[in-house]
Amino acid sequence: MFFLKEETKVITLHPSYFGPNVREYLINRLNEEEEGRCTGDHFVICVMDMVDIGEGRVLPSGGQAEYTIKYRAIIWKPFRGETVDAIVTSVKPTGIFTLAGPLSVFIARKNIPSDIRWEPNTVPPQYTDHADQVIEKGTSLRLKILGVKPDVAAINAIGTIKEDYLGPL
Amino acid sequence: MLLRLPPSLHYPITVTSLLKQPGDAVERDEALFWYIYQTTVTEGDGLGNKIEVKRKFPTKFESTVDGEIVQWKVAKGDIIDEPVDIVEIDEPCAHEVQFGGLCAECGKDMTESTYNTEVTDSIRAPIQMVHDNTTLTVSVEEATRVEEDAKRRLLSHRKLSLVVDLDQTIIHATVDPTVGEWMEDKDNPNHEALSDVRRFQLVDDGPGMRGCWYYVKLRPGLEAFLENVAAMYELHIYTMGTRAYAQHIASIVDPDKRLFGDRILSRDESGSLTAKNLHRLFPVDTKMVVIIDDRGDVWRWSPNLIKVSPYDFFVGIGDINSSFLPKKQELESSNKTGEKPPVKAPPLPPPTEHHVNGSTTKSEPNEEVSTLEQLVTMGGGDNPRLLQEQSDAQEETIMHQVEDRPLLQKQKELDAEDDATSQSDSSESSASVDESQDPNKQRHHLLVDTDQELFQLEARLDDVHRRFFDEYDQRRTRALGGRVAALRGEKTPFKEKDVDLKLVPDVKDIMPYIKRKILGGVVMVFSGVLPLGTDTQNADISLWSKSFGAAISQKVNRRTTHLVAGRNRTAKVREATRYPRIKIVSTQWLLDSLTQWKRLNEEPYLLPVHPDDRGEPISPSTKDLDSAWLTSDDEDTGEFLTDDDNETDDILQSSGLSEQSPIGYDEDQQAAVHEELKDFLGSDDESESDSDASFVADESSQIGKKRKRDDGTEGEAGDGDQEPAAEEGGDQAGSRLSQRIKRVYERSTGLRAMATPGGANNNNNNNNNNNNNNTTTTTEETKPEEMVSSPPEPEPSSSQPQENIPQPDEDDEDELEREMMAAFEDNDEDEARAEEEEATDS
Repeated sequence: MFFLKEETKVITLHPSYFGPNVREYLINRLNEEEEGRCTGDHFVICVMDMVDIGEGRVLPSGGQAEYTIKYRAIIWKPFRGETVDAIVTSVKPTGIFTLAGPLSVFIARKNIPSDIRWEPNTVPPQYTDHADQVIEKGTSLRLKILGVKPDVAAINAIGTIKEDYLGPL
Repeated sequence: MLLRLPPSLHYPITVTSLLKQPGDAVERDEALFWYIYQTTVTEGDGLGNKIEVKRKFPTKFESTVDGEIVQWKVAKGDIIDEPVDIVEIDEPCAHEVQFGGLCAECGKDMTESTYNTEVTDSIRAPIQMVHDNTTLTVSVEEATRVEEDAKRRLLSHRKLSLVVDLDQTIIHATVDPTVGEWMEDKDNPNHEALSDVRRFQLVDDGPGMRGCWYYVKLRPGLEAFLENVAAMYELHIYTMGTRAYAQHIASIVDPDKRLFGDRILSRDESGSLTAKNLHRLFPVDTKMVVIIDDRGDVWRWSPNLIKVSPYDFFVGIGDINSSFLPKKQELESSNKTGEKPPVKAPPLPPPTEHHVNGSTTKSEPNEEVSTLEQLVTMGGGDNPRLLQEQSDAQEETIMHQVEDRPLLQKQKELDAEDDATSQSDSSESSASVDESQDPNKQRHHLLVDTDQELFQLEARLDDVHRRFFDEYDQRRTRALGGRVAALRGEKTPFKEKDVDLKLVPDVKDIMPYIKRKILGGVVMVFSGVLPLGTDTQNADISLWSKSFGAAISQKVNRRTTHLVAGRNRTAKVREATRYPRIKIVSTQWLLDSLTQWKRLNEEPYLLPVHPDDRGEPISPSTKDLDSAWLTSDDEDTGEFLTDDDNETDDILQSSGLSEQSPIGYDEDQQAAVHEELKDFLGSDDESESDSDASFVADESSQIGKKRKRDDGTEGEAGDGDQEPAAEEGGDQAGSRLSQRIKRVYERSTGLRAMATPGGANNNNNNNNNNNNNNTTTTTEETKPEEMVSSPPEPEPSSSQPQENIPQPDEDDEDELEREMMAAFEDNDEDEARAEEEEATDS
């Protein structure tokens, strides 16, 4: 699910950047460091705007300035039960690896409808029901997240396509 | 699943009541049954005293899993003494496939643990079996299922699995930018050979390697090879390179992903950076897997392995991804392009260019270990810090290669050499054929493309494949109850399927069976092949040979069939000439036999034996001389003498045998000894050729003196009463030399011992006086007996310089002794030195 979240970040700036473009530089730094980051809990999709940049404070002994920035960002936190669209990255006899944006989702064979079978003899290998449904590398899938587990800088998720309206798009 | 009691309970326990009946659902941490256990506790009696009492406590046992009770294995009132199975619970999900700490089937967190957790659920799926992902793990059951499916599929297609290594097996890669320049430069002598080199750029290769270009040369015939082999095998890539590297290579050798598909395993997923493990890809069984790799050690010489000779196109570069591996034992380097036997007809180079002559190409890789391998550390464990260091080292080596341009250096050397030869050529014979035809002399090119390995390899793989399925078909017909039953069609397809898997023959049996026959019965001795101090049984070449059925022995003896010599004129070569049965072959014979899977005819590989080295054939009559030969030979090369004390003892023993004991020394034996000495001195030409004649003369006179000396000792035996005993004992030991050493040792200790009681080591100026003084002051000592006798016979003792032999062994502190030695040495310095040399030699 997507959220608009207000967050704060502390940025230390080297004195060589002090000048008329400080603000611009801070915005660039923030975008570079935050956008696309995975906190382990959620993904930061996009920094919307700065709420408050605040006064820079020079740190004793170093001469560097510390800015506390308040900003709003669009974040995505995957939840159990959420339905997402994903792209297949590889298919294996044990299941399907997909990417839903930044999130890697694995679909185990048990969570694939029983009529869609593993077919290793084609190039590239695929899951197929020998009709119109073919799942191979690059296919778009709609899947439901069964479980999410945060890691240090990544999130792993388990998905299923064994429900109505799920599967290849 | 069957729930088992943990060993941590306080046994014995008594079950008092079961809380759940079969059919009931249980949740994790829900109580299953009550039990009582007994223990001793300390209690206060209310008066301040503490007493220990035995008490019984009721407790409940909690389930560690969810599910439904199927059956109780214990009953009310049971007394349980040890961990047993208590109840069978049917779980809704056995968590057999896990992805990043989650059960891939039910989505539960597998890493969570509570007070009740004995082992976390993640243990249930310990096997990584996907090539390109390490977060997915499966249980043994699931792995078996997947693998059986795969095996059935392979069997129905009559295929096996083939694990292919990249670097130096099917390709050779380098980052030396020289290659790029040569490819651009049409005039470069190497341009031709580089015409089909592919290149790619790896951007995300870590800091400091931004945009490093990789140049990849495919092994000749690779395309056809993969095409043909893919019909018999399902191909997998297993490389020590990074994932990005592996994928780039795969897209070069297999652009449309028909051959390898996604079956690529790189070091990012391997789990170990120092070894390759077949179980990473085939966790359950490896019956149908064949490996091709240029290194046997990383596979621990697995029986599934076909070791190929490394492809070394970019001379001196080596394997750019081997920094993590233990250093390769260089041996094959002599097996380089230039000197393949003519039978194999290497593809002809363009006629205008003449080939690099065999000697230069083959010597280069020999002399210079590649820059990479110099930096290779011995592979050590999976210690993260070490790994970091090693990957840093790898980065560094890559940088080095980019900066140092080993290829350019080599070409320069080659050019310089060319210039030198052309100059000498033109000065010596101005009308040399070569020169006249080709006035604008072409430069020699460094890179030659004459590798033939893949063609042989394909034949071998074909052979293994054929034998495997022959065997399989045989077993299958047998198991299906013979032809009759098969014709009647009694077996149901389902049953047949299961039977099939059990019938699958094992590549691990078939390959060794083929290979063992090749060098079976060969007993080899290496000479000049392995560096000193290597374990001859476990060196790469030995293990490789052994996998072909050869036996390696340390010494040449009657059982030896082949002597594999790295260089000529070694002690063992000389020794081996005396057994007519032993074939003395060059290392090339062995390498070619191993790579071609054929016991090649030894004839073209026979080593020309230098006439001087040819020994007399062994016959019973010369048996005595046998050991003498061995000694002199060994002494000559000095190969085994330095590292082993036992060896030295052996030699002392045998030299004693040859020199004869003082009694019973007849004309014939003297002649034999003489001859041996002459031979020994003659063969040792580098050091002593100048003084040869005089030396022999010296020796002969020495022998005469020896006689005399022997008389002397016998005379002496009459005088001293202690010494003859020692002498006799020494004779029985049979070693003259060791006897001498012994004697001197005895004497020196005597000297030391007498220095203290007499306090006579103040006046050590005059040695004769000294001796006398000593002997007079220390009458109790036994050894002085000898001292008494020694001054009157300076002649014999000077002609027995053996007393000087152990001098290096003596302690320097004994001034007295040294003085005495100096006196002896003055008398006959030359001879003493000669003897000393002999002693230090041995």
